[in-house]
Amino acid sequence: MSVLLLACVFIPLLGFTLIFFSDGGERKVAMISLWMTRVNGVAVIGLLSMWAASGFNSFEYQWFQLYQHGDYQFPILFYLDRVGAAYLFCVWAIFSIIVKYCRVYMHRDAGYQRFFQTIFAFVFGLNIIVLSGSIDILFAGWEVVGISSFLLIAFYRHRWQPVRNALRAYTIYRFCDVGLLMGAWMSHLLFHESQHFSQMSGLFDNYVSNPVNYAALSLLSVLIILAASGKSAQFPFCFWLPRAMEGPTPSSAIFYGALSIHLGVFLLLRTMPIWSFHYLTRLIVLAIGLLTVMIASLSERTQSNIKGQVAYASIAQVGFMFIELALGLETLALLHFMSNAFLRCYQLLVSPSIVAHLLRVEGAVNSDFYIKDRQKLQFLPTSLRDVLPDVLQNTLYVFALQEGQLEILVRSLLWDPLKRLGAAMSRVSTWIKWLAAVALVIWLFIAVNNVSSVAGVYLSIPVSVLMVLVATSAFSQKHSPFKVWNSVAMSSFLAALAVWLMVPDAIYDELLFLSGIVPSWLLGVWVLSRLLKNERFAETSFRYRAFAQTRPSLSLLLFISFLGMVGFPITPAFLGEDLLLSHASGQHPWFALGITIAFVVNGIALARMFLRLSMGRAVRSEVREFRVG
Amino acid sequence: MTIHKHNGDEFELDAAIDHLAHWLPTQGPIKDFIHHNTLHAVQHFPFHDGVAVAAKVFGARSYLPIEDYQKRFEEGRITQTAIDWAIEQCGCHAAAAEQLQADLFTADPHSHLPPISLANDGIRNAWLNRLEMDLNALVHPVIFRLLSNFLDQGISRWALPKDGERFWDCVVRLTLNSLIPLYPFHQTQVREILNEGPDQVILHCLQQIVGDEQLYAQYLLEVLLAHPGWSGMVRIIETNPQSLLAPRDISLKQLLAVELACELAFVDKKKGRHFLRIDQLPELASIPLFDETHLTPEVPLKLRVWHEAMEWSLHSELLLALRDQPVAETVVKAPDVQAIFCIDDRECSLRRYLEEVNPNIETFGAPGFFGIDFLYQGLDDVYPVAQCPVVVKPRHLITESATQPRPEKRDPRQDLSKMHFSAHSLARGWIYTQTLGVAYAARLAWSVFKPATKLPGIRTLSEVDVHGHLHLLRENDEPNEEGYLLGFSLAEMAEKVGGQLRSIGLVKNFARLVVAVAHGSSSVNNPHFAAYDCGACAGKPGAPNARAFAWMANQEGVRAILREQGIDIPDSTCFAAAMHNTSRDEMVFFDQQSLDKPTHERLHGFQHAAQKALQRNARERCRWFELGPQTPDNESAHRHVLERAASIFEPRPEYNHSNNLYCIVGRRSLTRHLFMDRRAFLQSYDPNIDHDGSILARVLSAAIPVCGGINLEYLFSRIDNSVYGAGTKLPHNVIGLLGVANGVEGDLRTGLPSQMIEVHEPARLLLVVEQRLEVVDQALAKLGPLLEWLENDWVRFAACDPRTRALNLYRRQGWQAIELVKDRVAPVSSRSEKIIVGQTKTIPVHQFVGRHL
Repeated sequence: MSVLLLACVFIPLLGFTLIFFSDGGERKVAMISLWMTRVNGVAVIGLLSMWAASGFNSFEYQWFQLYQHGDYQFPILFYLDRVGAAYLFCVWAIFSIIVKYCRVYMHRDAGYQRFFQTIFAFVFGLNIIVLSGSIDILFAGWEVVGISSFLLIAFYRHRWQPVRNALRAYTIYRFCDVGLLMGAWMSHLLFHESQHFSQMSGLFDNYVSNPVNYAALSLLSVLIILAASGKSAQFPFCFWLPRAMEGPTPSSAIFYGALSIHLGVFLLLRTMPIWSFHYLTRLIVLAIGLLTVMIASLSERTQSNIKGQVAYASIAQVGFMFIELALGLETLALLHFMSNAFLRCYQLLVSPSIVAHLLRVEGAVNSDFYIKDRQKLQFLPTSLRDVLPDVLQNTLYVFALQEGQLEILVRSLLWDPLKRLGAAMSRVSTWIKWLAAVALVIWLFIAVNNVSSVAGVYLSIPVSVLMVLVATSAFSQKHSPFKVWNSVAMSSFLAALAVWLMVPDAIYDELLFLSGIVPSWLLGVWVLSRLLKNERFAETSFRYRAFAQTRPSLSLLLFISFLGMVGFPITPAFLGEDLLLSHASGQHPWFALGITIAFVVNGIALARMFLRLSMGRAVRSEVREFRVG
Repeated sequence: MTIHKHNGDEFELDAAIDHLAHWLPTQGPIKDFIHHNTLHAVQHFPFHDGVAVAAKVFGARSYLPIEDYQKRFEEGRITQTAIDWAIEQCGCHAAAAEQLQADLFTADPHSHLPPISLANDGIRNAWLNRLEMDLNALVHPVIFRLLSNFLDQGISRWALPKDGERFWDCVVRLTLNSLIPLYPFHQTQVREILNEGPDQVILHCLQQIVGDEQLYAQYLLEVLLAHPGWSGMVRIIETNPQSLLAPRDISLKQLLAVELACELAFVDKKKGRHFLRIDQLPELASIPLFDETHLTPEVPLKLRVWHEAMEWSLHSELLLALRDQPVAETVVKAPDVQAIFCIDDRECSLRRYLEEVNPNIETFGAPGFFGIDFLYQGLDDVYPVAQCPVVVKPRHLITESATQPRPEKRDPRQDLSKMHFSAHSLARGWIYTQTLGVAYAARLAWSVFKPATKLPGIRTLSEVDVHGHLHLLRENDEPNEEGYLLGFSLAEMAEKVGGQLRSIGLVKNFARLVVAVAHGSSSVNNPHFAAYDCGACAGKPGAPNARAFAWMANQEGVRAILREQGIDIPDSTCFAAAMHNTSRDEMVFFDQQSLDKPTHERLHGFQHAAQKALQRNARERCRWFELGPQTPDNESAHRHVLERAASIFEPRPEYNHSNNLYCIVGRRSLTRHLFMDRRAFLQSYDPNIDHDGSILARVLSAAIPVCGGINLEYLFSRIDNSVYGAGTKLPHNVIGLLGVANGVEGDLRTGLPSQMIEVHEPARLLLVVEQRLEVVDQALAKLGPLLEWLENDWVRFAACDPRTRALNLYRRQGWQAIELVKDRVAPVSSRSEKIIVGQTKTIPVHQFVGRHL
């Protein structure tokens, strides 16, 4: 059984690798994908039937201990229960259908290989999430899904619109990852070694009598809910989902119609024992669900494009699932998830038929089809027109048109303050920066000399503030990719430094962290200097430079170093990040906030820079030939 | 249309807008897709100059990458002779020509990239760069949402406009009379000016943003070109409100007013009241301006030569074959069956196979509306549609009435199998999703893994039951309330039928059975379906026209009038109507109950031959489908095309007009022995009955815009698919039943999606007329403005003498005798199947020898 479980997780990865190293020929890619879905199917069915044969008992499997240091453990844990089984089956079923669909649909697309690669990476991430046994593992899958989502939205990279919307979705993802990252850290803090999903429900029998953890538990629940509502496009993050429909239709169907959008529900199902523990958090989930249902169903009514309409319908249904969960109706929510996944997937796949359907089928019946009926093509339905005064009608329409004002709200709450802070940072003159650096060195000197036992801890405060400030200045920097890159690296170094000051004996873990960051940083610097050798970037900092088209291999290297820098689980930095958090905040919880903010902001800044450099359409700079008479 | 002059005289808004509108695409709502020259704005220039000017405005490519041409040369599809010919055409002196010849073969990976253009490098972009604002990304989503909700034809549940409300008023209402502000129009600076009306708002914003009146027009143009799809759509609706089912009051001026107000609001929000104006830009002197200096055509010579050489190589393939065609003798014996097909290039191969299967079938070609223009409202149609080329404005309305009582149909919105398309209340949506959702797992798997097996409830075109009776004969001359005449009088019918028969040269030797074969195409999951139907019927299936034609030609009264005019249709001759489904390769026959018994038998014979021909045709089409079966088995090929047309995951139900290249106006005897690889529009025309060119002029006035429009739309969509074409259709999203866009907040995409043009060889149309030069000259004199197409080489035009087969090419300066290499002849073969075996690219014109025809 454990072998089958591992197979379920790693077959998509194998598929990804095979496609990556294949020559890119369409037939070969198609054959690999087709066979991989079949093999995956065998593994999934095998696993599920063995699980059923064992009487549907929850099954946990610890593969190995990835890292152990003191009482810190990082086990690779997997877990299968009813929820996981339902998700695993749906993922496989929809994935195989999509692969078959895309075999023909994507035919002759320039990004054929890229597309299959990305959806395999996506399914790999999904299976990790679905089968994960602890929040740490889940977080790894969560990151994989986030990046592949980002890549598929920006699939048509020569146009700026997909690229921008990819960034928007990524920003929300990244922001909500804070929830999960801090959640992972808090679960370390709260449950120590026993953060297994399998033990979670049992855990709380003892906690009832332990009010000390009440606040911490509430905080953890809120963080998890934040992560869930970001991924599932729930209140207040509804707006990113329709805008993410930029990739090929089947990729929108599998991501935003069927699977990715239901991950929030999965996270809530998984962590049910934590957040359903008391009523406040239940109420929060209920309120999110209700608000989402209300806003999404209003917004759906004014969507004049078909994919946006399906997206809002889907969001509304996920809102219902949140309500069901808050009411404790787990099974209903699970059923609802499956129905909604298949229905929305189908709806998106056949969305181009809407023209023919409305004009030829509905139009063909002697019914009160609304194209015929002028009354119905007027402002708002008659029922509302008769009841509401003008100003309220307009208000209602504007509210629905602007999708509940959510984007404006989120922008002004989260985005603008960061921008302002960053802009202020950029305006700081150079000599102040030098002064700060000198001060830092002096502080360091003091710390090293062990003047006082607590000096290190107090010194780490300005260091971590500096870390956040450097990150925000990277965020608002537009003119020089080098500055962005170096600022991000700088803020990572400062993070390591701050932790070292606090916990001097964690030096080994910091080295692990830096062993991920430093190579990525150096690689990035080298790639950037190659790419920008003959460019005067600052003059036209707003152009998309299309290096993915003109310099594909350098662009790929840049992407890899970008992944390394943002702590994607391909370098030790991913593990290191987790370690830094657990070390530092084990003693000084305030530090977690700073490091996560820096983590989020750095990711966004780098993604923006990467998009400006790699995406876009190549243009010729001048007409070099002459005119004929 | 000339370039806007903006020196001296004062800025006039209306004149400027009218002027700028010429640069916008003219593609209407997606329900009727009409092919047209994408670059109509520069059609007054010679072809290459026009393309170069357009590139400097739109920022598009003008030719294929040079290595594509070089590769074709290596493959032998561009000949050295053609290169020499092309160099000669560009008129440079000997030394330069020699240098050019050498330069052609050097690598030059950048020469085809778009030049500096107004759309990409104009004053607006320079200004935005200075401001460091991504204004397009801020303004476009707002404007597109407002536009699409305002113009929406039935996707959203809540419409935006009140009855008859103008776009501008609508925006003002939502801004000024709502508790939640309409973002971003609530900015104080903008709010203050909204009551002043669109004219004042535009001028105010221009003054704030641009400053210098000389640059106003250019700024407006750049604003419009930042989203050509929506600008073009607004202009179309402004000039032709009937193109929408639910009419909307909108104009470019209102659009510009809203958009400029929106821009000003965003800039104001970010930069405050004082920001750098465009006339204060330090680099203003180096930015291309919308004037003669920037818009002087600069033609990249190498690419021009390569392109012309490619075209001439392809054109020579046909000309070689035509040169060697025997001069036709007069036929005395009438064939068994005569079939009139559409001029469409997709019928070219079917006609060939039909004649191969039964040599006693004679085929004709004519624009697929069969000369009868009317509005048609079938039994199942909500609204009447025009069934004729766009240039014709029909005056007659034809309705269909049921011959037998029909069963009550269910409302599809109550039909659960269609519930994924319908609107639901909140509660019902929840319940449906909970209960029926899982069933969609089965449905989804079924339609992906077993596409050809039909799901209940999905109708395809050829299954549309032939139920009704066309109401063709007019009973009284009272027009209805919309001003249309209900049906035709006998005299009008005779005029239409006679005109049609004369133009195709079918005035004697009638067979006992004449079949009018219209065409249409069925596909699923395809918003561009109208582009697959008959172009001569304005993107509709041509069935009603074929039925009308057959019915009229069978009328005794019509025949009596025709007899007086010298067209004697014998009583034994009977007309029938059919429709060819070009994607499924099926043929349906209409109104069979009205035929007598001997005709029925003959029709059976024809159906039998057609069945065989359709299967062979399916096989020939399959050679283009990389994932299709490459077998010699006609039946499996036919099964494949059926499956293809019914698959929801198939973005290419057929390749439509891909590779269209030739248009031949002449007798069938000129082309009957040629294999033209489905690349020719074939128009029948008898040079012997047209003494003053008047028939030819009529034929050309339909053929040039229809075939030339198709050809150029394919050509430009292929050359730059992201600017002139619609890009790949994979991410397309249907917007308000108006068009498609990428994603939710993209611009409407005009032109053709890459899946329609990817195998197209982008060469201009070669139109060959079988007629003597003096008659052709007479006909051209009657063409009027259409002559521009030929004079400026947007279509290559040649004449083939009916007696000597001498070939002449039309040039602006006069006829130019075509000299083909003496000892080269077109390749020969005995059967189509032998030619196509193993071929996956375009095939040169072949001559058939040794066939028993």
